Amino acid sequence: MTSDNDRRRGLLARLRGRPGAPSRGRRRLGAAVRLVAALMLAGGAYTVLAPGAAAQENPPLSTAAADGKALFDVSCVTCHGRNAQGVEGRGPSLIGVGAASVEFQVGTGRMPMARQEAQAARKPEVFTRDEIDQLAAYIQELGGGPVVPAGDNLHADGNVAIGGELYRINCSQCHAFSGGGGALSSGKYAPSLAPATDRQIYAAMLSGPQNMPVFGDNQITPEQKADIIAYIQQTLKDDGDPGGLFNLGRYGPSTEGVAIFLVGIVALVFASLWIAGKS
Amino acid sequence: MSSQTGQRALPGGEPLDVNDPRLSRFDIVREGARRDDIEIVHYEPQVAPGTKAERRLVRTVAGFFLLTGLAATAFLAIYIWWPWEYEPGRGGDKLYTPLLGVTLGVALLGIGFGILTWGKKLLPKEVSIQDRHEGAVPAEDQRITGETMAYMADELGVKRRPLLGVSLLAGLLPVGAVAAAPLVGGLISDPHKDDQMMTTGFAPRDGQKIRLVREDGRPIRPADISAGGQITVFPGVEHGVSNRYADSPTLLIHLREDDAEASRRNNEREGHGGYMWGNYAAYSKICTHAGCPASLYEQQTNRLLCPCHQSQFLITDNAKPVFGPASRRLPQLPIEVDAEGYFVATSDYTEPVGPDFWERP
Amino acid sequence: MKRRKFDVAAVPGNTARAVDDRFQVATPLRRLLNKVFPDHWSFLLGEIALFSFIVLLLTGVFLTFFFEPAMTEVIYNGSYAPLRGTPMSAAYASTLDISFDVRGGLIMRQMHHWAALLFMAAIVVHMLRVFFTGAFRKPRETNWIIGSLLFWVGFLAGFTGYSLPDDGLSGTGLRIASAIMLSIPVIGSWVTAAVFNGEFPGTIIISRFFIAHVLLIPGLLVALITVHLGLVFKQKHTQWPGPGRTNGNVVGERMFPRYAIKQGGFFMVVFGVIALMGGLFQINPVWLFGPYEAWVVSAASQPDWYVMFLDGSTRLMPDWEITIPIGEGYVIPPLFWPTVVLPGILVAISLLYPFMEARHLKDYRSHNLLQRPRDVPFRTGLGVMALTFYVILTLSGANDVIADKFHISLNAMTWAGRVGLLLLPPLAYYVTYRICLGLQQHDREVLAHGVETGIIRRLPDGRFVEVHQPLSAGNGHGELDYAGWVVPKKMNRLGALGPAIRGFFYPIERPAEAPVSPGHPPVEPRPEREEITSGETRS
Repeated sequence: MTSDNDRRRGLLARLRGRPGAPSRGRRRLGAAVRLVAALMLAGGAYTVLAPGAAAQENPPLSTAAADGKALFDVSCVTCHGRNAQGVEGRGPSLIGVGAASVEFQVGTGRMPMARQEAQAARKPEVFTRDEIDQLAAYIQELGGGPVVPAGDNLHADGNVAIGGELYRINCSQCHAFSGGGGALSSGKYAPSLAPATDRQIYAAMLSGPQNMPVFGDNQITPEQKADIIAYIQQTLKDDGDPGGLFNLGRYGPSTEGVAIFLVGIVALVFASLWIAGKS
Repeated sequence: MSSQTGQRALPGGEPLDVNDPRLSRFDIVREGARRDDIEIVHYEPQVAPGTKAERRLVRTVAGFFLLTGLAATAFLAIYIWWPWEYEPGRGGDKLYTPLLGVTLGVALLGIGFGILTWGKKLLPKEVSIQDRHEGAVPAEDQRITGETMAYMADELGVKRRPLLGVSLLAGLLPVGAVAAAPLVGGLISDPHKDDQMMTTGFAPRDGQKIRLVREDGRPIRPADISAGGQITVFPGVEHGVSNRYADSPTLLIHLREDDAEASRRNNEREGHGGYMWGNYAAYSKICTHAGCPASLYEQQTNRLLCPCHQSQFLITDNAKPVFGPASRRLPQLPIEVDAEGYFVATSDYTEPVGPDFWERP
Repeated sequence: MKRRKFDVAAVPGNTARAVDDRFQVATPLRRLLNKVFPDHWSFLLGEIALFSFIVLLLTGVFLTFFFEPAMTEVIYNGSYAPLRGTPMSAAYASTLDISFDVRGGLIMRQMHHWAALLFMAAIVVHMLRVFFTGAFRKPRETNWIIGSLLFWVGFLAGFTGYSLPDDGLSGTGLRIASAIMLSIPVIGSWVTAAVFNGEFPGTIIISRFFIAHVLLIPGLLVALITVHLGLVFKQKHTQWPGPGRTNGNVVGERMFPRYAIKQGGFFMVVFGVIALMGGLFQINPVWLFGPYEAWVVSAASQPDWYVMFLDGSTRLMPDWEITIPIGEGYVIPPLFWPTVVLPGILVAISLLYPFMEARHLKDYRSHNLLQRPRDVPFRTGLGVMALTFYVILTLSGANDVIADKFHISLNAMTWAGRVGLLLLPPLAYYVTYRICLGLQQHDREVLAHGVETGIIRRLPDGRFVEVHQPLSAGNGHGELDYAGWVVPKKMNRLGALGPAIRGFFYPIERPAEAPVSPGHPPVEPRPEREEITSGETRS
């Protein structure tokens, strides 16, 4: 939350320093931002209501956000519409989804989508880190919303034991005990956590991309999020498998069953062919 | 054993005198086989003694055995000196089990292939034919045994003295029951005791409504879940967050405005009006099919998927099953917010939670 | 002092005589040493199961020294940091201790688990061999029944075994097992309450499963395996038809020394493969699953492979619930059919099959010669049909993993399974039947006309015909009777039943080069090349 406010203060400072900006607008923007911040502190549950006032007034944007808008108008506008209001049947409104959502969707290459599908898949990113930040700033200033705290390592003081418990209650049902992901209904799926960075996991929890439920800071505190990320990064990903050089994808009994036939039975049938063969 | 190459088995007939000093050991072996109705029709050493081929094979076998010794020694060394205690990360301890497996496996395979090569390549090949003597039991023997048994039955005279038979049966049957009774009786446990199949931890106690709590026991306010979020909640009773209340885990879902509207409408239709509080709905996490936690909540489609057998429930329509083997909707927990602003269960579930059973009302 | 001379060389002989004077073992021992066993690679498949069972006993005993079958709640404080401080059952904590705090415990645990999978896999493969070759026919029906029972008892052994760690995955399986018991009409809730001592999960199920897993079920397995082997011994092994082989004899090797040595070596190979798998392939990483908690589950929750067909049948079952409107109404849940009725039918069919087939064929004679699958198309077809059924169910048991990894819709996978389960087995029957007939026909053609030589001859009237090398003596088309054994179909296999190229992994001798064209005669066989026959000696 503190980093959130810092960022906002920075934005305001930049806006104040801009010559010729109408003071009424500035005040109104300040009010809107304060409102957003207050709402987020209260739980962020009603952030959706807040942007209406801000967006309709078309307040001036920060430099970064203006650059972001330029990017938005060439890459995203087809589906998400002018001012990110959404296009019926193509793309949802982005008002209020926050920088976290942009960071997740664009940062993992899911957006821009190549075509309409059941679910956007992870792809190589189209935008650079700076461009993503600009887009995020634009969406953030349009409608507010959750923001991922600064820094690349968000699990520095995470506790893997607590994180593991939280992971099993909240995450494993879709992403599996091993973080490999799993199927959802009708072609949708929970992706593997293997390529995800700290910031992306954090952003996903905050924003609830696609069919993933939202795990806001009200439900899972930032400290608990750090614990979960620590569990994913340190235990699920960095910790080697003590049980063998091959972990069979950690898919559980299905690949173990394949292995016993492809390795065990095949090897032993060859052995028996040799033993009983004419020498 | 290898000097009798090419000799054919003697034709059957009169038994050999095994004390005849002129007989070789193989002759005696063959005579033994003959007495077991075995004819050794082909017996052929695969390698001539002293040849290059034999020496090569001997070296191979010896090589296998030495490999075993080497691998087994390596196993012991690794077992004793390799750092094996768990450390996070990808340190040497992660190689402990693989190294043990490889050395043990190589050691065992070494013995295996060593003696297999020995038996397969160095021992003489043979083809023996043994008679099965199947169905050779003459009808006469069968008759004799049968008559003997019938005779014994006659001697017991159960037929002539029916009381014996009846009383024996009457006496033994209860004894059999006595043997079974303690086991069966000890295992029986009334499934309907305390109405346990119909109640969960959310049943109000002493008129007190039970709070919904998190896994760490903290109660939950409406503001704790964002729209499109869900949280697993437990009855706020002692041991509520434990397997003692395995049927109580519940999914509290904060629906989006439109979905909540639809959900409320469908609730009304089913007579469950008032089960939701605001845009919040609580459904049992225990699948009505086989009891797994059905908890893969898709926040856009509002489907809840069970990962065990892929039953899918539509949350906005009373969590009715829309796909898969489940035939009954997830029970809904009626919820409200108490004076302190925390969620409580208005009452217990109004239908049994968990998998179906015969006498489910 | 004159010491009596001690003749070391006479000790074995004297001891043997002393033993025989008391126990009269010489004759039965000679019979045992001399017993003839036929040799074929497919006869070794059952041994894989036997040997993995021995490995199971060895590793299992080790594990019991460290496993604590209790559901008492403890706070984990072992060396695996990511679970430290977590409340869990003593059973799960001791499983973690076996994996992380007992030196060499993890390899034992993994070998035990791999051996269990191998045991079941070998049973299935062995059963297929017995089925497709007709080895279950009279007089061996009893052994077929025992073998089928071994599968189901092994199934129980596996299920009780992988439930013991009380981890997140196995607890989910236990939960499903309780639901299956609940689904039985009339007595379901009473059965469940009896097994779990009240409501699921209770506090006693792990210790009950433990005693079943380490005493009752292994005892039963040992008894069944003993009878199984005893009957093989008593009834003598079946054999393939071939030269000199009749229904009344056994052609092969005497048990000692060569056959027994091969068995001993094969045991070591099986043991070694299990050790390699136990060390190289991680199996059932329970530390990732966490303790069992009724509200915790993972995507892709599956049972071990031999239970997966039941999971698959459950997944494919439509939501057909039967309600009986008597009194307050009674329910037969859809879970009942695929998990209680289906296995019941499968057990009954597998036990009764030998009798059903004998009745159908009106064949009540004893058979000691095996049949090639192609010679009994209807049985082979039925077997492939049953196998298809089983494989579809097993794959459906993992349909969410398949859906996820191959980007198929989960719902589509379920529907494909439902449709496939009805359509594919009959199709498999038909295709197999036709293939069998085709193979048979080809065998008979070769017997009638000879082996195809690849040489095309032009007749005076302009037609082209292929020259056939007749198998029978003489040059005419004298027809040979089909004897139920491999028919040589390639030129270089003439005169030998085994492959003419010697060597298993690489040829010991170079095969003769093929003729380039009819105009160029084939390369002369090298003079040192030996005639391959089955009976002659060399050296």
